Amino acid sequence: MTALLEAKEIKKTYRMGKVLVPALQGVTFDVEEGEFVAVFGPSGSGKSTLLHLLGGLDRPDEGEVFVDGIGFSTLNDNALADVRLRKIGFVFQFFNLLPRLTALRNVELPLTLADVPDRDSIKKAEDMLKLVGLGDRMNHRPSEMSGGEQQRVAIARALINDPKIVLADEPTGNLDTSTGGEIVQLMKRLNEEKGQTFVVVTHDPAIAETADRILYLKDGLIQKVKGRRGRP
Amino acid sequence: MRLKRIFSMAWENMKQRRLRTFLTTLGVVIGITAIIALASLGEGFRISITERMEQGFELDVLTLIPGTLFAGMREPFNDTEVANVRNVSNVSAATPVMQIGSVKLYNGDKNVTAFVGAAVNLTEFAEIVFPHRFRFEEGEIPEQIKNNTMIIGYKVNYPNETEVAFAHPNDNVTMTMAIPTATPPIQNQSFTVAGTLRKTGTAGLTSFDYWVFIPLETARKFYGNVTDLIFVKVSDPELSETIAEDIENLFPLYRLTVLVPLSFIRQVNSILNMVEIFLTSIASIALLVAGIGIMNIMTVSVMERTREIGILKAIGAKSRTILTMFLAEAALIGLVGSITGVPAGYGISHVLSYVLSGFATSQQNHVFQRPEVERATIVPIFSWQWAIVAVIFGIAICILFGLYPARKAAKLDPVEALRYE
Repeated sequence: MTALLEAKEIKKTYRMGKVLVPALQGVTFDVEEGEFVAVFGPSGSGKSTLLHLLGGLDRPDEGEVFVDGIGFSTLNDNALADVRLRKIGFVFQFFNLLPRLTALRNVELPLTLADVPDRDSIKKAEDMLKLVGLGDRMNHRPSEMSGGEQQRVAIARALINDPKIVLADEPTGNLDTSTGGEIVQLMKRLNEEKGQTFVVVTHDPAIAETADRILYLKDGLIQKVKGRRGRP
Repeated sequence: MRLKRIFSMAWENMKQRRLRTFLTTLGVVIGITAIIALASLGEGFRISITERMEQGFELDVLTLIPGTLFAGMREPFNDTEVANVRNVSNVSAATPVMQIGSVKLYNGDKNVTAFVGAAVNLTEFAEIVFPHRFRFEEGEIPEQIKNNTMIIGYKVNYPNETEVAFAHPNDNVTMTMAIPTATPPIQNQSFTVAGTLRKTGTAGLTSFDYWVFIPLETARKFYGNVTDLIFVKVSDPELSETIAEDIENLFPLYRLTVLVPLSFIRQVNSILNMVEIFLTSIASIALLVAGIGIMNIMTVSVMERTREIGILKAIGAKSRTILTMFLAEAALIGLVGSITGVPAGYGISHVLSYVLSGFATSQQNHVFQRPEVERATIVPIFSWQWAIVAVIFGIAICILFGLYPARKAAKLDPVEALRYE
């Protein structure tokens, strides 16, 4: 069985003025369909960079990322945007909802970008919001919702195009412990009930505990892998 | 992403920032308003002037003067020359005119001065060449023209706007003429008034109001077969320049000057065209300023929405989609602005026309003292063609100036954009 997501020897160096900052120094791992993987590490370990590269928001200096068998280096920016649209869902620490749009419109947005007709897309977005427990908050704007609710909207948005994989960047980082716990439970439930694959970057041990597998990232390298379903 | 959805999103975005959208659009409205106002006013002005000139200049009448302003003989035309002119193709009439000069007229105890005593073939002159000028207050051109028939112009009949006419039809009028070859050189000749003319006003090159007309044959008895002017009626004013050339070719160089009213009008028209273009270009500057305003606002808007753009890119929006979203906003501003500006401009042109007409009329009355000139009215011209061109132009300017900020937005790096606070 081939992996759903593969990272092969990916390296990324940032230039801060005249200083070169190595963020990733050769990271290799893969994720299988239905897995819930946590990337655990202190801040500055390169977690977010890794997530951006896995999601095709940025390109590695070296190495290659494959999602669903497609190597990102073979794709131009437009094709990569299409992979982000159809195969990947993002969840961010700061929710990153469009403040002017209602919850429903925010969730519907990827469908609109994918040219799904209005009638279908509204229905689908409504169902998705009900799935994440926001059936009664559909017409609220982000400013009218709590952090936990906003993150649920973000999760609904990430899932709306039935992506192969959801990448979450510190999804609980901006929430209190109990709300964060609810979000983790939600993701876990989606993973178990729908078989949705998750890669979650975090330094929250609560998430790490629920993950099938934990990759410990430090100084741009995977230091160790711990997991129930982990492969050698 | 479909264009329709992009436009509806752009529209939503604009509605969210009402004041800003309003002010940006206002710039476009002002630009288009200025263009349409000046263009329709300019065109109205041009048409009004051209019409007045066409009325005044009698486009189908050429005037032949012996000699030129600078060279050649000033000798009067002879009958052969007149006959030759008459034979040119597309010439429907050629009337020789003898100018007697200033004459004095007596009717009982009243006397007046006519600036020009003119001798012509009255029937041809009045009925073929200048049918619009020979409108009679009293009397008419008699069927049988006698040697002593006389037609009197309005200002001769009512010198200094007096209320009592100098003469009426069938009055006997004595005309005092200077005849250098006769003894004594001042001769009195008696005429019977056949008709008095209504006011025609100063139109074109001549005013017949100050003229008195007698038959050519009568004058020739005293002055011989001389012709000072030839009025040529042409069958089609559009051909007048060709006909003028044909006539010139009949004569030796510098023998005569042909005055072609169409040429004057062409000249004036081309000048007015230039003025119109000039005015419209000045108005276009307003639109240019509006364009720069759009560029400014959109650049700020792109910065403000950097994070939003990052989000859109992260969830899969293509650069092209982002570009189109911003250009759609610019295009909508252009569309709304210019669609508002067209009727506004047309409305303003009416206001301006009213103000300018009043101004022009008061100027005329005080400076030129020509009450016979009617109130100058400029009717602004509305043209769908211009309206469409203006709307397209307005949208194009907005898109052009929106291009830079839109490209900037489209090129944003998603990771950097997401990090933007």
